[in-house]
Amino acid sequence: MVEELKGAIALVGYGLAAIGPGIGIGIVVGNAIQAMARQPEAAAEARTTMFLGIAFTEALALIGFVLFFIA
Amino acid sequence: MISILAAAGCDPAEEIICAPAEVIELFEFKDALFSIGPLHFTRTVVLIFLAMFIVLAILYFGLRGNRLVPTKFGTAVESLVGFVRNDVAIGIIGPEGARYAPYLLSLFLFIIVGNLFEVTPFINFPLNSRMAIPLFLALTTWVIFVVIGFVKHKHHFLLDIVWPKSVPVALRPLVGLIELVSIFILRPITLAVRLFANMVAGHLMLTLLLASGWVFMSAVGDIGARAIIGVPWFVFGLGIFVFEIVVAILQAYIFTLLSAVYIQTSVHPAH
Repeated sequence: MVEELKGAIALVGYGLAAIGPGIGIGIVVGNAIQAMARQPEAAAEARTTMFLGIAFTEALALIGFVLFFIA
Repeated sequence: MISILAAAGCDPAEEIICAPAEVIELFEFKDALFSIGPLHFTRTVVLIFLAMFIVLAILYFGLRGNRLVPTKFGTAVESLVGFVRNDVAIGIIGPEGARYAPYLLSLFLFIIVGNLFEVTPFINFPLNSRMAIPLFLALTTWVIFVVIGFVKHKHHFLLDIVWPKSVPVALRPLVGLIELVSIFILRPITLAVRLFANMVAGHLMLTLLLASGWVFMSAVGDIGARAIIGVPWFVFGLGIFVFEIVVAILQAYIFTLLSAVYIQTSVHPAH
């Protein structure tokens, strides 16, 4: 019974793993937009830092993505 | 034709689109198209060489001759080179970043060309959706930042990671362990998997949407008016096509940016 449900559980696990990064990327991008709106002359720097923040936050979702292959 | 709509069992005898039996194909090499001596050329290898020649051709024809007024194409290539050199290499690593600009530029151009194969008609195959390629590129970056760290700071490079001075003493073993794992193991893996996962997901999405649109529309003789359901799928697939061009360029940029950041942390580990 458990063996039959294996694939579905991995997918649910990935869905759960994507919640945190989803919220995190929302916060990062939201604050970056706020920074760009408040200080348009610093927009380039804010954008670079935003991409970095997204990339680091995304790492958690990517670790969850690996489950798709190993589960 | 019921099988198209239901697609219940996956019987290879019927011509329906079904899930591949094994995802291992993404990590293994298939049979070679042709071989030269001990070198076996699969489609992926041919595309690697094609991407290499495209990058070389762009740089050669864009920058050949030392014209006072560059051609239109030359200006475009110059602005691309200037972007990677000034904004990414010098902007992130600092004044000595110009030394790493050639590596970052070749990384950027190779990844961008390889990714754009995904939306090139008749190729339709993102180079980085085979794990070997992003993994190799990520390991190259890993070797560079580890070697630079040890050459520039000797044993202090490793010591500062496992015993961070800026953290309270009680927390140092824990933070050191996390930093050690994150820098030496998680960094190359996430760097590679980020590119790989984005390309696989985009490729799958395009294949599913366009192929289901095509399958439904071409079955109009059998299923009649219900074939109309293929039209929105096809249109949606074309919309995703544009989105994938953006993703291809953005992922190349992020890979280059993160490589620069990792090199920067080895050049100046204090901050």
